[in-house]
Amino acid sequence: MASTAVVSADDGLEPTLQSILDQKSLRWIFVGGKGGVGKTTTSCSLAIQLAKVRRSVLLISTDPAHNLSDAFSQKFGKEARLIDGFDNLSAMEIDPNGSIQDLLAGQGDESNADPLAGGMGGMMQELAFAIPGIDEAMSFAEVLKQVKSLSYETIIFDTAPTGHTLRFLQFPSVLEKALAKISQLSSQYGPLLNGFLGANGSLPNGQNLNEMMEKLEGLRATISEVNTQFKDENLTTFVCVCIAEFLSLYETERMIQELATYGIDTHCIVVNQLLFPKASSGCDQCNARRKMQKKYLDQIEELYDEFNVVRMPLLVEEVRGKEKLERFSDMLVNPYVPPE
Amino acid sequence: MPSLLLVVFLVELAVHLVNTIGAATINNLLWTLYLMLPTQTSRATAERAKLQSEYLKIRRDLNATSSQDEFARWAKLRRQHDKLLDQLEKMKKSHEGVKTNFDRTIGVVRWTATRGLKWFLPMWYSKQPMFWLPHGWFPYYAEWVLSFPRAPLGSISIVSWQLACNGVIMLASDTITAILGLILGAKVQSREQPMKATQGAGKPKSATGSKKDS
Repeated sequence: MASTAVVSADDGLEPTLQSILDQKSLRWIFVGGKGGVGKTTTSCSLAIQLAKVRRSVLLISTDPAHNLSDAFSQKFGKEARLIDGFDNLSAMEIDPNGSIQDLLAGQGDESNADPLAGGMGGMMQELAFAIPGIDEAMSFAEVLKQVKSLSYETIIFDTAPTGHTLRFLQFPSVLEKALAKISQLSSQYGPLLNGFLGANGSLPNGQNLNEMMEKLEGLRATISEVNTQFKDENLTTFVCVCIAEFLSLYETERMIQELATYGIDTHCIVVNQLLFPKASSGCDQCNARRKMQKKYLDQIEELYDEFNVVRMPLLVEEVRGKEKLERFSDMLVNPYVPPE
Repeated sequence: MPSLLLVVFLVELAVHLVNTIGAATINNLLWTLYLMLPTQTSRATAERAKLQSEYLKIRRDLNATSSQDEFARWAKLRRQHDKLLDQLEKMKKSHEGVKTNFDRTIGVVRWTATRGLKWFLPMWYSKQPMFWLPHGWFPYYAEWVLSFPRAPLGSISIVSWQLACNGVIMLASDTITAILGLILGAKVQSREQPMKATQGAGKPKSATGSKKDS
């Protein structure tokens, strides 16, 4: 009885992520979902599988609660670093909140101590912080700049829980508009401002107006490029991770609809933490839960008939370390067959 | 060209009608008539009404469907619901745009046909006599007032004619309103009287209440 859900996938698409592995043009892969459904495990597993068929793969975590280090039992930082035991799989963790402070505050290190001297620069900083989603966008922009120079074949993003990710994805157009306005203003009033600020256009807290404008302009260019790339289904796809429970399913549906409005391709769902108790199992909780999960699995089957729905079992051990992840990742490609 | 006398009278009548009925009411009436014509707008409106009823039906279904027990069905309904809502919003916006345009056009036409003419005619025909008074019937000062501002002495000027028309129309309208009010009032009273009588007999307290209401 336990295997019916697995077998019933025959009429739908393949219940694996093989399609992602085969689609060589893919450059950006996002892994997202509600918190605690196993995004990190899934993204690590996907990265491991991809590393087998691609020249080089980079795994990036944008989740402020970094779990990559935990998953691989290895410390990662802001620089891409090879994961122990692989020669073409690297990982990095970026702090979405860090980069904007770096960009805006980092320029005038010495004079920042005086709060009164903030003036124009301080205002700019406030202004920039006020734009929703700018932190994530900045980190993405920064990553993109780095990644371009590093030439990885595929980049996997282990994103922060749902809300954050989506906020970022709708963001570039907002920023583009704002920045276009700012650039226009600065080109019109630049000479006037420079008259006030002195010949070299330095702001009271040691920042330079022209330099800042150039930076913002650069950021804008990068972000608009990212935007077009993310909307190209040949380059980008989104893998939704969920568990067979109502809230998780609800969030996934919402996310898929929103992704559709942004024009971001998504055709894979990983259903994680499924229970497959043995027929003879006397565990009441497990059997009850299995029943509930089966109900939602059937619903998923019915609703997402154009998706690759991958079913992953809940293991008895934590999935940590290279070997366990490799074993787990194998199930992304070869569907898990529960023991009779 | 109908006689100027008649035109002035009609303009006054139109102004009065617009004032009593109200510009908004007239606009709405014309809009309804416009929608009855086989135009692009009326087709869009019909489509919108259809979409709206469809939307309401889906919303009913959505509310009747348990999201926990039949998630797939619920989610599919939800998708349709969102799509329809989006479409409806868009249609509403374009519809409102058309309506605003229509209102503006009608407003301009109405203004020119009533207020505009009302100001334009006396200016244009200020020197033309409407008709001549019998000679010697009126004293000089009366003739002077009647021919104000620039019509030849001894004639009725267009402004005087306008005032006269206005006065007549006012009188007639007041008469009609009064008669209508009398008739309607009598009807209402005759309907209320027996009720009050029965109520007063049964419950004196509520009878005072109903008196206050009326």
